[in-house]
Amino acid sequence: MEKVLAKKSFPQWVKILSSYKIFAPVEKENLWNYELIENPEKVNLDYLNTVLSPKKIIFPQREIYLEFSAENEDGLKVEEVLPDEKPSVIFGVRPCDAKSLTLTDKVFGGDFEDIYYWSRRKQMALVGLSCSTPPSPNCFCLTVDGSPFSKDGLDVIMTDLGDKYFIETLTKKGEQLVSTAKALFKTPTEKDKKDLLKIQQEAKKLIKRQVESIKKIPPKLKEMFDASLWDEESMSCIRCGICTYLCPTCHCFDINDEVDSHSPLKGKRIRTWDNCQFPDFTMHSSGHNPRPDKASRLRQRIMHKFQYFVERYKNYQCTGCGRCISQCPVGIDIIEVLDKVRDYGA
Amino acid sequence: MMAEEFEPKIVAFLCKWCSSAGSDLAGVSRMQYPPNVVPIQVMCSGSVSPLYILSAFNKGADGVLVSGCHPGDCHYIKGNYYARRRIALVKQLLEYIGLEPQRFQMSWVSAAEGTKYTEIIKDFVQELKPLGPQTKLRRAQ
Amino acid sequence: MVNLEDLKKEASAVLKDEKVKYVIGYQKSSNGLMPAPVFINKPEDVEKLIWNPTCIHNLTRFLTDERQRKIKEKHPDERPVGLIVKGCDSRALVVLLQEKLISREDVYIIGVSCENAGVVDEKKLAKKFKDKKIERIEFDEKDNIVVTTKDGKTKMAASEILAERCLECKANFPVIYDVLLGEKTKRQPENPFQSLEKIESLSEKERWDFWKEQLSKCIRCYACRSVCPMCYCDECVVDTINFAVTADTTAEEKAQKIKWLEKSPVLSENFVYHFIRAIHLAGRCIDCAECERVCPLDIPIRFLNKKLEKAAKELFDYDAGFDPDHPSLVASFRDEDPEDFIR
Repeated sequence: MEKVLAKKSFPQWVKILSSYKIFAPVEKENLWNYELIENPEKVNLDYLNTVLSPKKIIFPQREIYLEFSAENEDGLKVEEVLPDEKPSVIFGVRPCDAKSLTLTDKVFGGDFEDIYYWSRRKQMALVGLSCSTPPSPNCFCLTVDGSPFSKDGLDVIMTDLGDKYFIETLTKKGEQLVSTAKALFKTPTEKDKKDLLKIQQEAKKLIKRQVESIKKIPPKLKEMFDASLWDEESMSCIRCGICTYLCPTCHCFDINDEVDSHSPLKGKRIRTWDNCQFPDFTMHSSGHNPRPDKASRLRQRIMHKFQYFVERYKNYQCTGCGRCISQCPVGIDIIEVLDKVRDYGA
Repeated sequence: MMAEEFEPKIVAFLCKWCSSAGSDLAGVSRMQYPPNVVPIQVMCSGSVSPLYILSAFNKGADGVLVSGCHPGDCHYIKGNYYARRRIALVKQLLEYIGLEPQRFQMSWVSAAEGTKYTEIIKDFVQELKPLGPQTKLRRAQ
Repeated sequence: MVNLEDLKKEASAVLKDEKVKYVIGYQKSSNGLMPAPVFINKPEDVEKLIWNPTCIHNLTRFLTDERQRKIKEKHPDERPVGLIVKGCDSRALVVLLQEKLISREDVYIIGVSCENAGVVDEKKLAKKFKDKKIERIEFDEKDNIVVTTKDGKTKMAASEILAERCLECKANFPVIYDVLLGEKTKRQPENPFQSLEKIESLSEKERWDFWKEQLSKCIRCYACRSVCPMCYCDECVVDTINFAVTADTTAEEKAQKIKWLEKSPVLSENFVYHFIRAIHLAGRCIDCAECERVCPLDIPIRFLNKKLEKAAKELFDYDAGFDPDHPSLVASFRDEDPEDFIR
């Protein structure tokens, strides 16, 4: 269904949804990040994009798998620790970030479902905020089959019309969120619909960056494993890990046991994010490291996103949010790298 | 139910040749002093890495002591001079981030100073009791 | 004022003579105002070089990679690397020389003086210019900063948008160089540790609350460590990979190897990481503030290192990065080192 909501009524909508766990972007010292909202009055969608994507809510950086303890020699007790399952809503999700969740869904789902991921994901409703203007000068969602108004992965999509939001529910979950507070919503007028259309048409034109002929890239990459391009492009890489941790689609993780005491034995098995740009990511316990240099790690990143993932899941593992470009300390630009891949050897 | 008085746990890095010997002397002489110390013998106060100190606090120590030979008496000649510098830096940084300065102390205790050792520990325990357990740097359980 | 053409000439000359492998400098990046490091090995490519108040990066960082290359390559190019350095960067170079990570012949130093200015603070710029797209930033002859946007030029005193560290700079021209561009304008800050005072003046509780809030944000991306020229250890204490494995090593031993901190980005572990990094940088950090610039969560990391820089000066009269023959802070001592804190 289509509705409009006055901007000043938005905090009330959030308040009415108090039975849900609410997440929304919050500003602290000029940076926006998703946080659990305690005070609905404070929710404000007047922002560009968050530093860390909403994946950290569904796939937290630290997750406890299980707890183990042993009181004596033969009494090893192992207890699974599953996330609590209260229904939740994330507000203000940009279409690129919503799409990225549909991609991580493929990885954590399929033949073998990750119960930690899904017990959160199933309870999650995503209310998106479309991009009337690109949140970043480095946005390139259009190139990777996305759009500033993409509905992929969202339950509701909101568009800023100035003093009100145009609301479109996309799933049953979304409908429920709106009908819970139906008194606040009004029927959109013809002008509202016209305004929406105008914004949608303009929005696509405002996205300045793109990778031309991106379709050529996956098959090209297949032949570029030993290309000299990787050495050249990774010269200034300082293997800091920012690109990967900030990426909404990256999902590699590490599992470690955190032992609180040895006798009596007590500890937890923890999953944390891991980062293929860290030099020790592929370090074997023998000491051998198959990706010992920056070139091999950059190659891995590009090929994972634009060849391996495409082959396996028929999608680019990139939603064009531009975070890696804006935050790279040395200006390594994934769009530039892709352009060079496409034109390599020509 | 009777409230249990808080007993601080002190991790003490004692250099083998002087301070640890000093603590042994206190023991052999049957001197009474609070049992709140977990002593860790190191070869030299100069070998105490800041990581040991941080690790002690991370694992829940309420107080940390580093004790070595008096200047000029180091078994390895210069180790304690390096320690003096390094520990000064650690102390400055711990205080700067807001850890109570009383929680981290350094002392010179020779092999003959059993009494001094017991006094240091007694005073340390007295200073730590009102501060309560160290929760700032401690790893959450 | 430093002339870009002179810089290009110097770089081109040394490349033409094939005296260096390549020259590392700054070029315009493809995605915004900040430049990107560039590795130039052909004389004609010096046209890519730029020099303006956005040239913040500490290019000395890449000397670590050079060393790795020399170790790993079968037939390494033994020629030195040409490096464009500012005053602060040159101090980092001095520290690396002091620690013998590199030798003087490994680098050809093209020094550039900041004269009376420095580099801009990206955040201050963003605040002043909000949504306006900045097309150019440059110094003028009077060391003012001139910012050009679509709406025209704005001139302002450099102190308004200079990085905080530049306002406390101890070396506004390189302390070591093969060739120097720009004037050796001596500028001694009144109080080189002024910015520290706002934290030092807080009470114990306020200081703890401050660091607790800031370090809780940390996601342990290790960008601060990766960008620092002085963090060059092959086996860092935070990576628990340094464990010699033999045929007889049991799984038990592997599981119980020394782990100083857990991988989890929780406050207690974040403290250990940042604390130990600050200690390991005592007497070595030269306040290029790159660690703070690269942090995606804007954690004020510089103020951890700065505290020890002040301690080094006040307690031990030590200044990092001026004399390559000077011993390092923690590998030296004086008889008069304070011991008032020792019972």
